[in-house]
Amino acid sequence: MNDRTMNEDHVGEMLSGYIDGELTQQDRQRVRLHCEVCQHCRRQLEDLRTMRDRIGAARLSTIDENAWRETMNDTTVRATRGIGWLLFIGGILLAAGFAVYEIITDSSLSAFEKTIIGGIYGGLLLLFVSVLRQRLIERKTDKYKDVEI
Amino acid sequence: MNINDMRRELAHLGNGAHALAIQILGNSDDAADAVQDALAQALGRRNQYRPERGPLKAWFLGIVRHRCIDLLRGRRPAGGSIDALTDAAPGPEELLELADRDRNLQHALDSLADEQRQIIVLRDYLDFSYAEIADILRVPPGTVMSRLHRARVALGKAYRKYDER
Repeated sequence: MNDRTMNEDHVGEMLSGYIDGELTQQDRQRVRLHCEVCQHCRRQLEDLRTMRDRIGAARLSTIDENAWRETMNDTTVRATRGIGWLLFIGGILLAAGFAVYEIITDSSLSAFEKTIIGGIYGGLLLLFVSVLRQRLIERKTDKYKDVEI
Repeated sequence: MNINDMRRELAHLGNGAHALAIQILGNSDDAADAVQDALAQALGRRNQYRPERGPLKAWFLGIVRHRCIDLLRGRRPAGGSIDALTDAAPGPEELLELADRDRNLQHALDSLADEQRQIIVLRDYLDFSYAEIADILRVPPGTVMSRLHRARVALGKAYRKYDER
């Protein structure tokens, strides 16, 4: 059978299925027999294989596995840290509210004693807020914060 | 699958996911953002992954593709050109011939339709089976072979055109 007579019956897309191993045994046989006698399809088969190999060997991405692993760590760390802070601050606020309520309603303490206790704890709270604020500002502007020691 | 196994496998799939995202979004940085989002989504929805319905690779690439499409809907410029379909970060060992070949491949890929680029990368770069490709692209399994073949023929023609220049 010559090329001219086979032109009307090229195997076309089955060539792709053939190089990918996605054809049935019967179709594989059909493609193989066809390519033995059809130069056009034989050449196309080689071209398809060449392009497939080029794509396979191409550098389509250069970001390595470790970078993606770190990305996932970052995501998890950020999420868990956020939840942790939320619980911590919520707990502190509840405890502080309860303590204030207890002091105000405690009839065994005089107004003077309540003022002293309030002053001490209020001062500690102000110091904590002040340090926290400063640390947050430094964290934003510290260019060495991401440097690992 | 426990979370540590999933994280290990997802990290391993990151490179391929990035390659696919580049083909959809057209540049490496946006693609990296999309993969990062997809990783977070995949970990967040890990209970939805059913191993009996297919490999993690196909499930994750489906998430990546959806994320890319969402990003495209929001910001794709009409008729915008694609800057870099192969990631440009050559190592010191890279040969000049390889660089030229990748550059020609980039031009050739650039000339294809989005769907053609995706199907070629899924099959020839990421080595998915036709059934998995059908699942990821949400197309009937019977159409994968014909689409892939048309895409490969188009890529071959485009590549030869740039190669002869």
